[in-house]
Amino acid sequence: MDAPNTLEIMTLLLKVAHITFIILVVSAVLGLLLGALLTMINVKNIPVLKQFTVVISSFTRSVPIIIQLFIVYYALPPLMANFGINVSNMSATVAAILALTLYHGGYLTEVLRAAYKAVDKGQHEAADSLGYTPMTKFFRVILPQVVPVALPGWGNALIHLIHDTSLVFALGVADIMGRAELIAAASFGVNQVQVFIAVAVIYIIVTFLSDGMVRLFEKKTRKYKLDSGLKARGI
Amino acid sequence: MLNFEILVENFFGILTVVPQTVALAVTIFILSILIGTVMALIQEYNVPVLQHLVMLFKLFLRGTPLIVFIFIMYYSLPGVVSFFTNLLNLDYNPHNMSPIVILIVAVSLTVSAFQAETIRASFLSVHYGQIEAARSLGYTPFQTFCRIITPQALVEALPEFGSAFLVVMKAISLGFMITVVDIFAEARLIASSNSYYVEAFIVAALMYWGIAYFVVTLTSKCESYLVRRT
Repeated sequence: MDAPNTLEIMTLLLKVAHITFIILVVSAVLGLLLGALLTMINVKNIPVLKQFTVVISSFTRSVPIIIQLFIVYYALPPLMANFGINVSNMSATVAAILALTLYHGGYLTEVLRAAYKAVDKGQHEAADSLGYTPMTKFFRVILPQVVPVALPGWGNALIHLIHDTSLVFALGVADIMGRAELIAAASFGVNQVQVFIAVAVIYIIVTFLSDGMVRLFEKKTRKYKLDSGLKARGI
Repeated sequence: MLNFEILVENFFGILTVVPQTVALAVTIFILSILIGTVMALIQEYNVPVLQHLVMLFKLFLRGTPLIVFIFIMYYSLPGVVSFFTNLLNLDYNPHNMSPIVILIVAVSLTVSAFQAETIRASFLSVHYGQIEAARSLGYTPFQTFCRIITPQALVEALPEFGSAFLVVMKAISLGFMITVVDIFAEARLIASSNSYYVEAFIVAALMYWGIAYFVVTLTSKCESYLVRRT
């Protein structure tokens, strides 16, 4: 292959961008759901399961994401085989999504739990005294106050997730980084720097778009933020 | 299922690279604090031109995944260094630069951008009255900085430093891409030699988990000690 120019490199990379994008979106959505579930278990103090959530969030935050990716890819199939479930032909993309979901969920648990605890106890009591059902209480009173507190942390977690999608090529997924490695290897040392700067530009754009999106949400939900009692009274 | 003999064997195999991984992490951690402090001071004192460079650099690092930055450094650093050595007529060939040096440069720079924020925030958290009090006692600015501000800022920054160290620890696991051997890379090497992948990665994960636990406990101990003293 001839040494392609920067524009050609960009087109080649953008051709596989959808793979990175799918992995990112799917694991972001599933990770948020998992994080919410783990947080619910944690704040409801469900025995055994609660300890499980603590272990998961500690593990996902202590161990490099690259090891988590490898563990899911290599360890899950033999582990599942013990229970008679055959996932030995799990694709690298699926393994990547699973690992990133677990990582994102474990990370988000801390964010969501702190945000949930930040809601004043009086808000729970007020809703209870008005005879709200637990469902109504959660969706009309608690959740709107949790969201603005959790958003900055969620934004950070999202940026981590975007960056970590750049590692799934280590499992053999042909995403942006995978393609970049191929181009860099095929160009005999001519334009490796160019290739990775092109990758950096793509990631920078995605990061700033998601950052802008989170900021927009923050603006929209600011009205749900209750000032603390002291602050409202100017103390 | 898991092969426990291999598990134990791997444990001791991987344990041999733990000291050098930790040493590498400590080096990068200290460098990142130094560079981060310089960046924080540049921004705090609004040094012309440099502060814009720092801002641009921070924006770039916030958007770029570490592995991409490592590759950029891997392929461009020798060129950049040879440009300067040619300029200064030094007799040094940077093209056989050790990948460890490249990893140290890449990770220190990345982490320092985040350290700068931590350091700035912890300096700002020191009450202005403290500086006024020191001034009224006739302390020089340098004495004020070393004796009054730094000890108080340190207490504030300590938990953040603990987690920054863990970030460094995890970040250098990407060194395997440029042939630096750390805990993860060693696990990978062992796994490819005996093809017990699961065991090797589980041992490596447990190793990182243990180190994280140790660091978190240590920083919280240090923190309570410093809080009692100040």
